[in-house]
Amino acid sequence: MSSTISEPRSETAARVVREFFDRYRRHDVNGMTDLCDMTAGFSYVPFEIWGKQRVLRGDGKVRTIGKTIWNGLITSFPDLTNTVHTVEANDDGDVVVEVDIGGTQHLAWGFAKPAGRRYDAPHLFIFKVGADGLIQHITAYWDNAGMSRQLGHTEVD
Amino acid sequence: MRLIDRLVQRFPKEASNVTTAELTTTPTEAVEHFLGALARRDVEAAMASIARDARVIIYPLGVRDSSDALRGVLNDLVVAFPDLLLRVKRVITTGDVIAVEFKVEGTQAADYAGAINQEKHLDVDQAWRFTVRAGLISEVHAYWCQQQLLRRLGVKRFDQIAIV
Repeated sequence: MSSTISEPRSETAARVVREFFDRYRRHDVNGMTDLCDMTAGFSYVPFEIWGKQRVLRGDGKVRTIGKTIWNGLITSFPDLTNTVHTVEANDDGDVVVEVDIGGTQHLAWGFAKPAGRRYDAPHLFIFKVGADGLIQHITAYWDNAGMSRQLGHTEVD
Repeated sequence: MRLIDRLVQRFPKEASNVTTAELTTTPTEAVEHFLGALARRDVEAAMASIARDARVIIYPLGVRDSSDALRGVLNDLVVAFPDLLLRVKRVITTGDVIAVEFKVEGTQAADYAGAINQEKHLDVDQAWRFTVRAGLISEVHAYWCQQQLLRRLGVKRFDQIAIV
């Protein structure tokens, strides 16, 4: 997406991020990735899977960790959708988004076995959008305990 | 005590000629005052930055209430973690909305959020979204992962939080 000459950076950034969630709603992971810089950073802070000898975290790059997690979510929750509530942006390219993400579980997600249940979880996303209109970093926060309870998974790990 | 009340108390003669708008701080300053006070474990000083009719949503705790609920949440936190350490990682200002990413650390010294005290160490990354009106925080939306929090406190099951 390119910005118009007169458009303030905040408006460009907000528009790019709204398009990101539109594409997420259409399950267009490649389209989501196309909105990001080649080396865009990725941090899903609550994503933390504990094994006996390792801990998996959702930190890395959009084109590696991000795409994997998005594809995994869409596979496990085939009707995954999102509802954007607020989008706030500034002229430094920071965008803060409140969005509900949810779907019905058909395949395992983490340690949660599929029971056909639905979850809806409020998320706070923080994006950094560059002057070129490409997303440089994505950070997200949500509560996995609420998600697990809705899916019927009662074990912390 | 609210910020405006403290200023009126400090400058009683001038107070009658000063409007509320002139007494306001910037949105970022209001939030920084709140976080600074919380970092000092001074809940009442933190609450001085919160409007009495503020709307508060603490998603991981299922709290959707007023400023009094926030006072309870903060009190529970500083009592359960007397060595509370709050490290601010990023403050993002977008007009009247301020988003803050910070890490909360501490050693449990009392029951918290249903979890019995096992003297475990807590470290949980959080993001809070504040809306500021007329120098006071009018809306608080708090996000963190309660699964991460309970895991660090040694809890094994969501349906039996008090059992370890």
